[in-house]
Amino acid sequence: MLTRGTLIYIAQRLALIVFTLIAVSFLVFVTVHTLPGNAFESDRVHGRALQLLLHEYGLDQPVLVQYWNFLLNALHGNLGVSFQIRGLPITPLVMRELSVSAELGGTALLITIGLGTTFGVIAAMRQNSWVDYTLTSIAVVGYSVPSFVFAGLGVLIFSYFLPSVTNGVISYPAIWTGTYGTLVELSLPAIILGFYTSGQVTRITRAAMLEVLQQDYIRTARAKGLKTRVVTIRHALRNALIPVISILGPLVISIITGSVIIENIFGIPGLGKEFVESILAADYNVTVAVFTVYALLIGIANLIVDLLYTVVDPRIRY
Amino acid sequence: MATIATPVFEQEYAGGTVARAQVGLWRDGFRRLRRNRLALAALVYLILLFLVAIVAIFWTPYNPATILPNTLTYLGPSAGHPLGTDDLGRDLLSRMMQGAQISLIVGLGTSLVVLTIGVVVGLIAGYFRGWVDTVISVFINIFYGIPGILVAIVLYLVLGRGLGNIMLAISATVWMDMARLVRGQAFSIREREFIEAARASGAKSGKILFGHILPNSLGPIIVQATFVIPIAILTEAFLSYLGLGIPSPLASWGSIASEGYAALPLEPYMMLWPAIALSVTLLAFNFLGDGLRDAFDPRQRR
Repeated sequence: MLTRGTLIYIAQRLALIVFTLIAVSFLVFVTVHTLPGNAFESDRVHGRALQLLLHEYGLDQPVLVQYWNFLLNALHGNLGVSFQIRGLPITPLVMRELSVSAELGGTALLITIGLGTTFGVIAAMRQNSWVDYTLTSIAVVGYSVPSFVFAGLGVLIFSYFLPSVTNGVISYPAIWTGTYGTLVELSLPAIILGFYTSGQVTRITRAAMLEVLQQDYIRTARAKGLKTRVVTIRHALRNALIPVISILGPLVISIITGSVIIENIFGIPGLGKEFVESILAADYNVTVAVFTVYALLIGIANLIVDLLYTVVDPRIRY
Repeated sequence: MATIATPVFEQEYAGGTVARAQVGLWRDGFRRLRRNRLALAALVYLILLFLVAIVAIFWTPYNPATILPNTLTYLGPSAGHPLGTDDLGRDLLSRMMQGAQISLIVGLGTSLVVLTIGVVVGLIAGYFRGWVDTVISVFINIFYGIPGILVAIVLYLVLGRGLGNIMLAISATVWMDMARLVRGQAFSIREREFIEAARASGAKSGKILFGHILPNSLGPIIVQATFVIPIAILTEAFLSYLGLGIPSPLASWGSIASEGYAALPLEPYMMLWPAIALSVTLLAFNFLGDGLRDAFDPRQRR
């Protein structure tokens, strides 16, 4: 498995991730620091006091010097301090929020893949029947209807019309009681987030299945008398999953995008909520930190996806 | 594909070969589009929406930004206000009409910007290849590696709030698909004989790019541009929902939905209208895009 070539490939990819992280953090850092205003502007701090405050946070230095300091600190795992909650170290904050977002996003990813592949396989098996049309329509609805619509409706239904179903756990406005939420609190946002991205998986699976089902080895498998179920799952689905794995990277990005809004609606203390709050409060160190963590997350996800390829398709070698 | 392609243009009869009357690429496409009921229904809806947006330029029942005197807030649907009023007592029908305008402007405007950037960048990368292509491809991959909505938010705040800037900010997050598509098209078309013939007869690079390669990849480009519209509308609604979008008092479906969510227990309708409008509009654009793809880009057909 881990040949020398693979190791070199992984090393190259890691170098590319580091390069991307530096590029992304630099662009975001410079961009947000050129924005007018800062987190202290709303405070009643003027003149010399403001100067001292800016000096304390290093904000009186040139932007490039600030970035260089940020980069050196970041290499030591220190992402700086928050302006809004003065002096709060960002690294532990972001790590905790990352774990919350990972909990939500991971659950949503499982739902997306489960729902999407199941729908896709069934639609392909019954191509051009009403089952096919219904499932592909559901897929289009999934990525057409904004997730905040489903989120709003979900909160309305479970807090207002049917509070007994969840025992009043989902209230209006929705908010997580603990850091990691309860199972009931997690399930509604995770399902909505997962459904939003499942449409893409349904489409890809369906198309891949249709293509695979026409190939000769499937005919051979049928001809030797295997049951449809065995042919579908063991022979066809395995090969149809390769294109699905190829969109796992974009899928992770979609889920991150979706989680920004879902976390804000459901009051989930994750990265997405922090990002919007930091932007609104001009707490730029936090903005840069969240952005960088997201870029790192996506880089690693893409690397894992590419390595997964070699596992599911032995013909691919790096 | 393992299937044997069946001849479409010629049919064999006992008396010989009968060719179908020759039809151009575009007429053939429109003929296929007309047979797609779902895409046609979507098209009709979108035309109606356009009319509403155009009417809203000249006339809305009330001024969408005016807080009406002697009007109840959170009014449900009633004779004077068919869709009710919002948290400040503004007429929701007027605001929804303005929202339609904003959504369509953002959708079409972004699509145009993306079309321009994507076509130019993609043609250059695919035609000149070499280091130009390498640089552009690295750029495209970096953009693919960061979540679009975050880029849009940061860029939009840097550019400053406004209708034009939100289109630019969204374009920066969706131009890559178009660039990659055009690049691929240019890559394959530049190797074809008719390009060689054009070059042999003395055509310059610009003429070959815009006179030969571009017209021959127009089908997939138009399809891709159609799919940009719902993404742009959705992103704008996202941003406005988060309070980072079109500045108030301009009404966007996203901001009405956000205000509606805040008023959910008091007036569920307020969230309902933008929810329905956004969902149906995005569905319509996606169905139309699917229909256009099947009609004008048959190789992509699934």
